[in-house]
Amino acid sequence: MQANRTRAVATALLAVALAALGLAGTAQAKLVGNYTKFVQCPYANLEVKKCIYSVTESGEVVLGAKKVPIEKPVVLQGGFGAATEEKEEALFAKFYEASNGITLSKAPQSVPGGLLGIIPEASQPALVKALIKFFFENSLTGVNSTLELAKPASEIRVSENNLAGEIGTAMQMPVKVHLENPFLGKNCFVGSSSNPITWKLSTGTTKPPAPNTPITGSAGEIEFLEEGRILLAKNNKLVDNAWSAPKAAGCGGILSFLVDPIINAQLGTTTAGHNTAILKGTLNVASAAAVRKNNSENP
Amino acid sequence: MRRKQTAIGAALAALAVLCAMFATSASAAPAWKFEGKSLEGSEVVLGGAIDSLLTVPGLTTKCENFLYKLTVKNEAGTGKGEVTEVPLYNCTTNSSACTVQSIKAEALPWASKLTTVSTTPYIIIEGVKVPILYEGEECVLGGILVTVTGSAGGSINNTTETATFNSTTLTATGTSLKALGQKIEWNGLFPTEAFQWHREQALSVS
Repeated sequence: MQANRTRAVATALLAVALAALGLAGTAQAKLVGNYTKFVQCPYANLEVKKCIYSVTESGEVVLGAKKVPIEKPVVLQGGFGAATEEKEEALFAKFYEASNGITLSKAPQSVPGGLLGIIPEASQPALVKALIKFFFENSLTGVNSTLELAKPASEIRVSENNLAGEIGTAMQMPVKVHLENPFLGKNCFVGSSSNPITWKLSTGTTKPPAPNTPITGSAGEIEFLEEGRILLAKNNKLVDNAWSAPKAAGCGGILSFLVDPIINAQLGTTTAGHNTAILKGTLNVASAAAVRKNNSENP
Repeated sequence: MRRKQTAIGAALAALAVLCAMFATSASAAPAWKFEGKSLEGSEVVLGGAIDSLLTVPGLTTKCENFLYKLTVKNEAGTGKGEVTEVPLYNCTTNSSACTVQSIKAEALPWASKLTTVSTTPYIIIEGVKVPILYEGEECVLGGILVTVTGSAGGSINNTTETATFNSTTLTATGTSLKALGQKIEWNGLFPTEAFQWHREQALSVS
């Protein structure tokens, strides 16, 4: 009797475990082959028409007088809908956040010169000098610059026609630059959700105000995979050098009233014509319907 | 006396060089000919592609009906012309996901001229503009307007009365067609046959 009950309980537990595994399998994406890159695309949403997985492998961000090379890969992933919003003589599509919430990966890029590069020792208030000395003595001089979305991913806009045609704005992104170092605190940003940096990235030629001069992007070397269901663009180059940036704010914690002006003096003029973004990498775009199909075909 | 002979010899040599130069430039700019005689006035050359494929790596577009209307003439001994009509019908792709929703030649007329590269006559078509709109739920190009632009040079075969366009002829003439920001391949074989005053006459370029 006891043995029978134990067997029944064990069978029930096994059934529950198998059911749980089955559910987990259903919830997980089962993309295979060239489609695996699009695992974080919200393709189950029927408003999503295309999936995107873009890796910026190199390039630079020039903010006023400071240039930060892109040395660590930055991933932009998610999906976008039908191009229905008309502006700047083009149709733009709304962006949909990545399924895991990480639409733009946070890749800290090293700021050349470190802390001394943005807060030089000379002629600083005594308190700032003393603090900087402390950080130098403790080898905490490295400064990272991390690009983050300043607004929800749904604020990103994509124009496939401009991207393919190498004209106008291909992708509009509200971003902010997070400057990171223990001295600068956790809230040292250039740009914010209320006052973002708006990049209008192009694969064509920019028309910046002086002193910047036009620079040219590229759609890259395009290849179609899976019989035209996936577009792969190698050596894709998105550029914008007509954007403006607000002043740095929140740097140095409670000393931000002292530190912000120092950093802003070091950044110099950050109005339009003084900044540049050059993003070089690989772009993958897939039809969301094709991704859905790949998912359903591989249970 | 001897000096006069030398001067005459030099003048003749210079004349020979000049003649040779003119001969070279004439061969570099061939003319349209019918039954071996240079075309006077203008003529309409009309036809359809025997085969024509437009390829971006991984995706090829083919039109069953790729017709053209070309008005030709000779100007100062050089063949010129204009492509005035290019109706394109029944276009498909090699992809099971993508179909061609629309395709149309724009910015017509496209100027054309004849030239010679290494003794082979070529026709160069300039100002080509063909927007192609693909569709298909699973097609990554669905809803994207892909515009083919540029110029294309095709070799003319006087025996078969055809013009051939491919990557070799485009390279030979220094021409290229672009779409999606890069060079694309165009393979086409077009008959060159008169359809107005010189119907059924042998068309040649030299």
